[in-house]
Amino acid sequence: MEVNIMIIGLQIVAILFSLSMVYFAALNYKRGELNGVEIAGWMVIWLFTIIVVIFPELLRTFAKTFLFARVFDMMVVGAFILVILMASSAYMRTKRNEKKLEDLVRKLSLKKK
Amino acid sequence: MKIFLVIPLFNEEKHIVKVLKGVLPYKLPVIVVDDGSLDSSSLKAQNLKLKNTTILQHTINLGKGAAMKTGADYAFAHGADAVIFMDSDAQHNPEDLPKFIRSLDEKKCGVVFGSRNLHFGVPLVRYLGNKFASALVALFFGIYVSDTLCGYRAVTKNAYGKLKWESTGYGVETEMVIRTGKAKLKFCEVPVETIYHSGVKGVTPLDAFGILAQVVKWKLTL
Repeated sequence: MEVNIMIIGLQIVAILFSLSMVYFAALNYKRGELNGVEIAGWMVIWLFTIIVVIFPELLRTFAKTFLFARVFDMMVVGAFILVILMASSAYMRTKRNEKKLEDLVRKLSLKKK
Repeated sequence: MKIFLVIPLFNEEKHIVKVLKGVLPYKLPVIVVDDGSLDSSSLKAQNLKLKNTTILQHTINLGKGAAMKTGADYAFAHGADAVIFMDSDAQHNPEDLPKFIRSLDEKKCGVVFGSRNLHFGVPLVRYLGNKFASALVALFFGIYVSDTLCGYRAVTKNAYGKLKWESTGYGVETEMVIRTGKAKLKFCEVPVETIYHSGVKGVTPLDAFGILAQVVKWKLTL
């Protein structure tokens, strides 16, 4: 009983989080920071997350294939992998942009003289 | 040997005039790199209308390391054989400049590091932090410099080609030491006086932790 309540609680948190991310994605689209393809991509990702959170049974076959005892465990591992991938990709992009910006500002300052 | 003085400048309107007037007697060409100052630092430097001084402008703040690189690139492109870096917050005593010039000219050192010690009134916490950094760099990279964080230093054109640091911020000093060791460049240390006064920005404890993390990164990547 307690486990069920905990899982429902987690599902509610996950759904609220996904909905807020849908809102932020829509906001970014309105501001012109995301184009049509990007907003569609993010909407698919978050709606898929909501569906999976509400009906975790959909992924049970997957979880069994990859030898996870519970769907929830598989989702946690998947989320970790995704976060690490996104963080490293964001780090590399930021580093590249910083370098480009530095080169540009330094070049401009030397050009002016 | 033609030696230029490079002064990275960021929000030092209170001190820049004193610094520029202080170095005048040494008749060195001076390159001031204004690193996107938000106050009147650059204007004050320009208003002095000094003949031997060039002011370069970064349109945005990139950090001390980037400003030093811009200044050095400009100096070497305009005939410098060596550059001396000096902070713009009036912490460095211009009277120490001849020590650097002698080390470059007579001792033929590729890199000259200024070194502060307790005798010159360095606060104990900073002193211990510096010693810890020196020991860590020595342990990781096999080069011991008694004050890895002092910004008062000099490099020759040849050494600069081998040093070319990537740090844009305060990590630049430590990276220079590490790259000096890696490239096996001849280096010397000269004792320098540091004048501590209110309003000194310098390396904060947060910067120090950042530098520490970078040392580990350089150990893995350089």
